[in-house]
Amino acid sequence: MNLGRLVRRQALSHPVRAFLTVGAVAVAIFLLCFLRSIVTSLDAAVTESSGRRIITASAVSLFQALPASYNEAIGAIDGVDTVSRFTWFGGVYKDPENFFAQFGTDPELLLAQYPEIVLPEEQKQAWFEDKRGAIVGIGIANKFGWEVGQTVPLKGTIYPQTGGKAWEFTIRGIYRSTRANVDEMTLYFHWPYLDESLESGDAMGPRGTSVYLIRLEDGWEGEPVAQAIDEYYAGGPQRTRTQPEAAFQADFVNMMGNLPTFLGMIGGAVLIAIFFGVVNTMTIAARERYRATGILKSLGFSNQVPLRLFLMESTMLVLGGGAIGMFLAWLSQPAMKAMFGAFIPVYHVAQDTYLAAIVTCVAVGILGGLIPGVRAARLQPVEALRRGV
Amino acid sequence: MSDPVIQLDGVTKAYRKGGQELVVLDDLDMEVATGEFLALMGPSGSGKSTILNLIGGLDEPDDGDVIVAGELVSALSGEALSTWRARHIGYVFQAFNLIPVLTALENVELPLLLTPLSKSARREQARYALEIVGLSDRLDHRPKQLSGGQEQRVAIARAVAMDPTILLCDEPTGDLDRDSADQVLDLLARLAAEHQKTIVMVTHDQKAADDASRILHLDKGVVQRVGR
Repeated sequence: MNLGRLVRRQALSHPVRAFLTVGAVAVAIFLLCFLRSIVTSLDAAVTESSGRRIITASAVSLFQALPASYNEAIGAIDGVDTVSRFTWFGGVYKDPENFFAQFGTDPELLLAQYPEIVLPEEQKQAWFEDKRGAIVGIGIANKFGWEVGQTVPLKGTIYPQTGGKAWEFTIRGIYRSTRANVDEMTLYFHWPYLDESLESGDAMGPRGTSVYLIRLEDGWEGEPVAQAIDEYYAGGPQRTRTQPEAAFQADFVNMMGNLPTFLGMIGGAVLIAIFFGVVNTMTIAARERYRATGILKSLGFSNQVPLRLFLMESTMLVLGGGAIGMFLAWLSQPAMKAMFGAFIPVYHVAQDTYLAAIVTCVAVGILGGLIPGVRAARLQPVEALRRGV
Repeated sequence: MSDPVIQLDGVTKAYRKGGQELVVLDDLDMEVATGEFLALMGPSGSGKSTILNLIGGLDEPDDGDVIVAGELVSALSGEALSTWRARHIGYVFQAFNLIPVLTALENVELPLLLTPLSKSARREQARYALEIVGLSDRLDHRPKQLSGGQEQRVAIARAVAMDPTILLCDEPTGDLDRDSADQVLDLLARLAAEHQKTIVMVTHDQKAADDASRILHLDKGVVQRVGR
């Protein structure tokens, strides 16, 4: 027998109420984890970006293609190691609802610039050698059940093929990503294949490339190189805006508006709701336990003991619900990824989200038990016994 | 009379109810000797339970001194009062006041958590207390699985488990049938006689009071008569 056992028994003395409280907290914590994970997953692309890469886009708009001729000139600027072209394709796989990102790129350069894209050597070689080949992330391959060797038809929207035909890409490799800045929900194909199709008239659309991905030489900082590129093209034909990869990713996230604030407000509301719920539960429990409080005091327990018991009970209930909520958040990651993968390709519940959830639970538990606990602590034994009758 | 273990000197206590002051105890003097079994009788509102609450430090006098086991109780507060109460006072209430979610053994073990005893020693002492009240076969029963008489015996076991100097019993047989009440009274008498416990018992029941070594009749906060 110890006070912990008493707390456990008291908490479970009304199983339905305990179940409902734990359930409400579980749902709330799950929701908090989910909302926070959206923000952290979007941020991951920013925070895990490499300092050794910069990106050049049009100074006018991200949607304005840059001339293909910039490739060589950028490559000649001091501090630039490699440059790869990177074009947003915007194709539709069977149905617009099957949205995922596709980029035309320079395969060998891309894989050299992004060592976090990992796939077997033979698959790499097969992709390099097949102009109509593509690699896809494991996430999207699993989602659509694709395998290596399979042909994926994509209907061009920005780059429609003449005659309304679909583009066909053969999957030559399935990659995994070792960092959150690269998702596993993208298809990469040969930029030259796109460019040649446009050149030959087999397809229509803007020429050039959406952006240039630039890897810096060892010992170079991004800022002077970015400045040099932008100065080089300050007089046209099209001005550029070169940014570190992290800043570019941040701009991309900001295009969604102030999502973190919006989600934060929802999360805050959820938090307040569970706090009130827990306070309500504990206040009802405290009223039912006037007599138990009086008994404990009459037995010689100090005023601090009822306070401690309420804090323990409240924290136990909230942590119990929180643990279930966190478990559900962990369990639902693949489902969430499948559901929202097109918009949040690297959705995952980060460790600090679990930590934040635990801190939240402890804080709500303590605050929830504090009000009834302090009241119980202040109650005179005689008054407690009288009220409990 | 041997040295008093309980001494009330000029104790006055009043409550406010609906704006009116209600004097419950009026300049009361009273002594209880060590090992004495005292019964307090009187009509409702005569101050019997208030005396118990003052002796146990659950309430404070408006005026006068309450000295119990050599301590001026009104001078104690907070932790010191709790510690003193745990050491010297055992309560037995009319409504038993057991914790419903704990078994008989756990209820008796509860106050022992205040001692430095080991878990096994606490358990042993609780078992022994339940054996004294004849409930060795009901250790794992919860209060609602016990009869009223058994519940009260568990409450007595809990009260004596800490080996307190004084047992304060507030209508201990008030909610019991005659047989159960007799068993409880026998038990209290035995605790006084065999274990030298000082017992102060509030009762309306003359038969219950007959088991005491002295009876005080109270009315309107003053001692009207001393019996036996």
